[in-house]
Amino acid sequence: MTVLLGVMLLALAPPAAQAVEWDQNVLKIGVLEEPKSLNLWLAGDAWSNHVLQLFYQQLYVNRPGDLKKVPWLAAGEPQYDPQTLSYTVDLRPARWSDGSPFTAQDVVFTGQLIQKFKVPRFFSLWSFVKSIEAVGDHQVRFVLNRPDASFTSRTLATPMVQKKQWEPIVKQCLATQKPLASLLRVSLDQPASSGPFVLKSWRRGVFIHLERNPHFFGQGLSLDGRPLGPHIEGIVFKVYGTSDAAILALRKGTIDFYWNNVQPGYLRDIAGDPAIQVFRNQKSALYFMGFNLRRPPFDDPALRRAVAMLVDKRFIVTRVLQNAGEVMTALVPAGNAFYHLDQVAPYDQELTRGERVQKAYEILVEAGYTWEVKPMDHAGRMQACSCLLRPDGTEVPPLTILTPPADYDPQRAMSGMMIQEWLGQVGIMAAARPMAFGAMLEKVKGHHDFEAFVLGYGNLALDPAWVSAFFVSKNAGKGGWNMSGYDNPLFDTLADKAAKTLDPGQRRELVLQMQSIVQQDVPFLPLYNPLLVEAARNDRFQGWVPMVGGIGNLWSLCQLRPSGGPAAEAAR
Amino acid sequence: MARYVTSRLAQIVVILFMIVTILFVLFRLAPGDPVSRMVDPSLSPEEAANLIAQLGLDKPIGQQYLQYLQNFVQGNFGHSFHYGLPVGQVIMAKLPNTILLFTTAMVLSALAGIAWGKVAAWKKGQGADMALTVAALVTHTLFLPWLALLVIWIFGYKLDWLPINGMISAEVWLDPASGHLDKALDVAYHMVLPLATLFIMHFGSYLLVMRSSMLQTLREDYIITARAKGLTERKIRNHHAAPNAWLPVITSVGLSLAFSINGGALTETVFSWPGIGRELVMAVSQNDYPLAQASFLLIAMVVLFANLVVDLLYAYFDPRIRY
Repeated sequence: MTVLLGVMLLALAPPAAQAVEWDQNVLKIGVLEEPKSLNLWLAGDAWSNHVLQLFYQQLYVNRPGDLKKVPWLAAGEPQYDPQTLSYTVDLRPARWSDGSPFTAQDVVFTGQLIQKFKVPRFFSLWSFVKSIEAVGDHQVRFVLNRPDASFTSRTLATPMVQKKQWEPIVKQCLATQKPLASLLRVSLDQPASSGPFVLKSWRRGVFIHLERNPHFFGQGLSLDGRPLGPHIEGIVFKVYGTSDAAILALRKGTIDFYWNNVQPGYLRDIAGDPAIQVFRNQKSALYFMGFNLRRPPFDDPALRRAVAMLVDKRFIVTRVLQNAGEVMTALVPAGNAFYHLDQVAPYDQELTRGERVQKAYEILVEAGYTWEVKPMDHAGRMQACSCLLRPDGTEVPPLTILTPPADYDPQRAMSGMMIQEWLGQVGIMAAARPMAFGAMLEKVKGHHDFEAFVLGYGNLALDPAWVSAFFVSKNAGKGGWNMSGYDNPLFDTLADKAAKTLDPGQRRELVLQMQSIVQQDVPFLPLYNPLLVEAARNDRFQGWVPMVGGIGNLWSLCQLRPSGGPAAEAAR
Repeated sequence: MARYVTSRLAQIVVILFMIVTILFVLFRLAPGDPVSRMVDPSLSPEEAANLIAQLGLDKPIGQQYLQYLQNFVQGNFGHSFHYGLPVGQVIMAKLPNTILLFTTAMVLSALAGIAWGKVAAWKKGQGADMALTVAALVTHTLFLPWLALLVIWIFGYKLDWLPINGMISAEVWLDPASGHLDKALDVAYHMVLPLATLFIMHFGSYLLVMRSSMLQTLREDYIITARAKGLTERKIRNHHAAPNAWLPVITSVGLSLAFSINGGALTETVFSWPGIGRELVMAVSQNDYPLAQASFLLIAMVVLFANLVVDLLYAYFDPRIRY
């Protein structure tokens, strides 16, 4: 007991160093997970990307607002030569954190590394690039096997690594029996950075400290009308185990920004604090209900349309998401305005519950479905009905709607339960079944053993290549991304054409047509897009840049400035 | 004695082999795919297959098992899929943090439990006994995350006396002016809340075991003899009754210490304590087979050896027991 009391008393004395103000101009960010690795080729999750995006820079980045690509490490727009199927990109003068110049050799090396090792996260973006050559130190020429629209939107947005650092590592990896596995196991202590920050120290599981990269090309530069910095000395990422702890830390002032979605339950507490500003931004996300088209009963588009009619997305957004989201009417979310299909399907009109059941009933009757007791009486009122009978007179068997568990995503789990209730109103016996995310993915994607599911992607690429990936018939095999097993030759043709169309306007038209087809055939039913709600303190730093995907972005961290007081003094 | 130890060690080897096998099979049977998190939607099935082959997951399960056994014997637990680092390195980075917190908490809880259990038994039926027993029962049945969040909210946020989470504070550890003492104090400062929470949760079980054992001991003839000899009550309690009563507590403490190396996922999560418990949960949920298997195996090994040590300690403390 004496020991315990001693420890407690000793500990209750605040550490002396707390009074020191070395961190006045250092931004403190709360995160729930640290990067899993500083090895770009392994770490692809969002938490890793929070940190790695500040080291490994791209040739082009999306600008806030219209999300168009703007040159970052590149010096101008890529020049396309249709005769040779080649792009030429000029590079701006930039340096790595060790002071050595960023050159065309680094770009060539990065591309060739991805191709040589078939790096999982990037290879598909480089598989159609025939050759990459440096034309001098500041110009790169890419020759393609075929025209591919994702080259400018995605390939040129690949993060670049330093040849000087990686060349010896690559040689060692290539000498092993399993080069890719060896590459993924590379542990970097100090990644060369071409970005605004460089790693200073990392205490695993506790914090990561970054400091300003003195060689960052953006210092003092105005890019796309935005004065880049960074204007802060550094960033400390602090790891919190739970959102509760992170929100308390934000309120207490221990962190300046919590880089994660703030759940509605916390907003009431935060709202009363004038030092905390809440930002609401759209996400590039898709939360949807998927159907298995490979087998009855959802191989029938009429049944899928009837289900779509029964699902009240507005109800889900207002009640389940507590208005922290928006109804999705098309695959590409509204925030990605250029590729968003601004066309509302009949089932997405504002309807009452009675009207939804009436319209679903009409669709089913027209398709030959029957009931012993119909869901609507002669006066057009809803009534308890018997089981839905297929056109051949057999009962639609009980169905399962797979969802992630409530502890993983309460909103999707609850949406599944709501849908189960709505389906029952026309005699479809459905049961929502929450299951572990990995198990669900294996059932849906690996074994195709399901009827329907509710799933979501919270951070989709802004380039809509994924629209094709999710629905082209060649991806319908086991393990493929066409989980519904959708097979439409017209869609396949449009997808193929969209991939090869380089003109953004023409490609947009094709992508819109593809979305329209999906809207009509309903292999997926887009449900909602949650808003990304983030909270930051405004008493130490200001200048957050809102964009699709939130205020936690490269632009913000390059533009943030001290708000005033000691931090501003220190910055000056 | 030597024969007994040899026989127990042989048993441990057999049990370990069974555990290795069961762990291997269980993780392969578990749903989920470790590769799915590493690929993007546009990766072709052939490229995904290449990745699977690189990770060694394409081979027949029997072959994977033999390879795993071979590596296990050589002390090679492979690389974590998630971190890309050798499993040993991942575990060793977090294990000391867990041991620091949980072992300290177990030792303190056990010391307090034994001391207070002794008092409760000695004053059976009196106010002190009632208060200690009720406190032990109540605190032992508390829901840990609730208690943890409550103490964080009161002492970390409302009163602002203590840090709300973590093991160290970046403000102290990154400060060039901080010395070793500042850093040591900082760790102690961060340990107070999790330690207090674990202490509150665990002292009760030791107290109840000690109290029950002490009550039995107090009925023994040698206690009556001690009283007849005219010894003081304090001497009878501390020198005659207590040493004989804490034998059952040794088992409990020994096993608790062994289990303390797996930490507690809930405690570590709520207090953001960078320990092995959180890592283990993450490894299982992300199908990080090498890390999960090695973590469970480590726990199993420590528990098996702790059992052996406890049995040997029994013989040391109780001369009636001989192997």
